[in-house]
Amino acid sequence: MRRYFNEIFAVTSRILIELFRMRRSLIFWVIFPTLMLLLFGCIYAGGSGATNSFDFTPPGILIGAALFFSCLGGPVALLVGERERRTLRRILVSPMKPISYFIGIVAAHLVIAFGQTVIVYGIAFFFGGRFHGSLLLGLLIILLSVFSYVGAGFYFGARFARRTEDVNGPIAAFGVPLIILGGTFFSVATLPSYLCALAFLDPIFHMNEALKGVSAMGMGVRVISMHLIFLGTFTILAVFMGVRSYKSMLLQEKRG
Amino acid sequence: MIEVRDLEKSFGEKTVLDKLSFSINHNDIYGLLGPNGSGKTTTINILCNLLDADAGMISINGELVSEKTKHLIGFVPQEISLYQELTCKENLMFFARIYGLNGSKTVERIKEIIQIFNLAEYENTKVSELSGGWRRRINIAAALVHAPSILILDEPTVGLDVEARYELWELIKNLKKSGVSILLTTHQLEEAEILCSCIGILHKGRIVAEGTLDELRGLVPAKQLAVIETVDEKTVCKKAESYGWNYRRYGGRLTFLLPEKYILKNVVTKLDGISLSSISLQEVGLEQVYLEATCG
Repeated sequence: MRRYFNEIFAVTSRILIELFRMRRSLIFWVIFPTLMLLLFGCIYAGGSGATNSFDFTPPGILIGAALFFSCLGGPVALLVGERERRTLRRILVSPMKPISYFIGIVAAHLVIAFGQTVIVYGIAFFFGGRFHGSLLLGLLIILLSVFSYVGAGFYFGARFARRTEDVNGPIAAFGVPLIILGGTFFSVATLPSYLCALAFLDPIFHMNEALKGVSAMGMGVRVISMHLIFLGTFTILAVFMGVRSYKSMLLQEKRG
Repeated sequence: MIEVRDLEKSFGEKTVLDKLSFSINHNDIYGLLGPNGSGKTTTINILCNLLDADAGMISINGELVSEKTKHLIGFVPQEISLYQELTCKENLMFFARIYGLNGSKTVERIKEIIQIFNLAEYENTKVSELSGGWRRRINIAAALVHAPSILILDEPTVGLDVEARYELWELIKNLKKSGVSILLTTHQLEEAEILCSCIGILHKGRIVAEGTLDELRGLVPAKQLAVIETVDEKTVCKKAESYGWNYRRYGGRLTFLLPEKYILKNVVTKLDGISLSSISLQEVGLEQVYLEATCG
């Protein structure tokens, strides 16, 4: 157990040190959601100065503009980086277990997600926003979202991204439509009915709706149970697919 | 000690290793030489438990290669495989932890490695800010941080300038003294000549020549070589044959295998009357052994 902890800590601390040194990604992961939050906070306030727009805006911004790019784009970039620097081969030669590597990456992204959550809600609170529901339930939704994103990131990173240039392609192609369809920036209520039906299959929609329900409307587990079940199932599926793709990538890498 | 016995590996129809056998003794530097595609990388991959052999076995200190032997191996890839944004010390720390070192043991071992590799001045410098030579040092240091029994060096000095290469050779020689066995693959024959206590020449998946440098030199049937450039090769070869000199085309150069040592003047006298563009006498080196073994 201690060995696993040691390995996970090695991976997590390495990723975080690198991120803090490089800064660029971190800065963008802060600037983008901040600007989006301010922009959409103002749009929904409609210039009336109403403060409750900052009750409704943070969940979507956190899920769609912050965690999406850091926790989905992050692992994709990490895997590509390990391949390009050939450090993946070195890791393969070591006795470290693949599961330690995966959990190490999840843990690093949980730290980043925590930071982004504090920033997004900190700004929202500054402008009068409030978190109305259970904090624990909110944290559970964020936790499931991070695991989903990292799992999906592993899947895309292992399957499609071979070089740095490949990173943005799959994220933009699959991710951005899902963000919009998931009601990150505009309420799903504004969508035509056939798109609403489609949105129901979008995991980001369930992340958004669950967190909005808890954060902005103070809903409890029972009211958001449908979203939680969908999100929980998707999380298991994403982690399973991610780990499987990662393992098959390792096999390929082993063959050189 | 590493023992490789009758190792076989094929990829589809292509046989990459064909009953490959060799052994590396404690404190030896074993040079594995061979042209591209001769099976060096496949051998390393099987040794590192990245690939399964079709037949045969590899043992390290009497233990068959498996997940459990991974900690016995330190692998230095050809490329600089380090985290560029991390300092030297942080890189060492990372690799120590993924090899299971923790607590005060890690700190002590890293101190030791920093001392062995003379890294004190740069221990807190980011790898991206170091020169190629220093990066190569850390690349090796990271593979030794968990104190393996065997160190695999895959083309360790590729891309280095002459000065950095000599420094690294010195370092590798010193590592031998510290008790680690080293498997070195290289294309630089000079590197193998200087560093290796035993050399194996790999060709088409088999060791075609093996031994110390002196033993290998004995495989070329000559005491000395005469490299000749002439427009009249036919006449030179005919005359040389009359003296019992065999000849080869090593790297396209007409080379005569002299059965005894000569001074240049005597060779020129023996070839008197033939127009020669150039002639030089050479000692038998690893280059000729390598060509003799791999080109027939």
